[in-house]
Amino acid sequence: MKITVSINLGGYSFNIDEDAYSDLKRYLKNLELHFAGEESSSEILSDIEARMSELFRGKLTTYKQVITIEDVHQVISVMGTPEDISANESTSNREKFASPGYHRMYRDPDHRIIGGICAGIAAYWNIEVWIVRLIFFCLAMMGVGVLIYFILYIVLPEAKTTAQKIEMKGEPVNIHNIKESVKKEFENVRKNMNL
Amino acid sequence: MDLENTKAQMRKGILEYCILSVLSRSSCYASDIIKELKEAKVIVVEGTLYPLLTRQKNAGLLSYRWEESQQGPPRKYYELTKEGREYLADLDNSWDELVESVNMIRTR
Repeated sequence: MKITVSINLGGYSFNIDEDAYSDLKRYLKNLELHFAGEESSSEILSDIEARMSELFRGKLTTYKQVITIEDVHQVISVMGTPEDISANESTSNREKFASPGYHRMYRDPDHRIIGGICAGIAAYWNIEVWIVRLIFFCLAMMGVGVLIYFILYIVLPEAKTTAQKIEMKGEPVNIHNIKESVKKEFENVRKNMNL
Repeated sequence: MDLENTKAQMRKGILEYCILSVLSRSSCYASDIIKELKEAKVIVVEGTLYPLLTRQKNAGLLSYRWEESQQGPPRKYYELTKEGREYLADLDNSWDELVESVNMIRTR
């Protein structure tokens, strides 16, 4: 027995196995990232979704009413991964994603105790966060720590998007890193939900 | 030199030309275009087509209209604009020239 999910793809509703759903979702997310810099990217995506919906409909019969993980993998191989698609596109488009690794300081909301300042600084210099916390604690004892913390809280933006979280660590923001990062987040959520 | 890469580079340029050529005969639904391109083996993965269609549409070479379909939701039918026809005529010429040049060198 398997749990199925009900989705709307290109105006059609499908019942899809849960494992197939998570693969499909990840694929569409990757495509979205791939076309993010493109003018009318949402139009491209909805065209692709409409085509995938058509391919999925071809896989259903009276006796097979649920989209399986094999169906999803097969349709993905027909449509092509972002890498396959960019292999056929102009190189200028591919270079767009290999922007140099910006390195900026952010507040890190994922590892925060108060405002994520120490965690953000630790990520920026790639040091253990307890060292930064200890320094702040000492500064606070000397009477200036709280003020510095407060100023930094105002000055530093919070790392909200995946791209910002990658920038915080100084890695280049490209599709591969974003994918890794999203995958990690996805695994975390899964662990937390005990799935 | 990477053979696959060279082949991909070659296909890249002609794909755009082929899409316009398919549409020059009649207005088409994206899946019909894909069918023709696949039969002619100029496209490997279908995902390549959609960004190209949207770019050509944004450049004013194509336009589309929605058409009701019996089997499902309304479909997008693409057709060449006047500009698209002129653009294609230009490409036709340069393709002929290219083929002639390559043949001349190969048969020498």
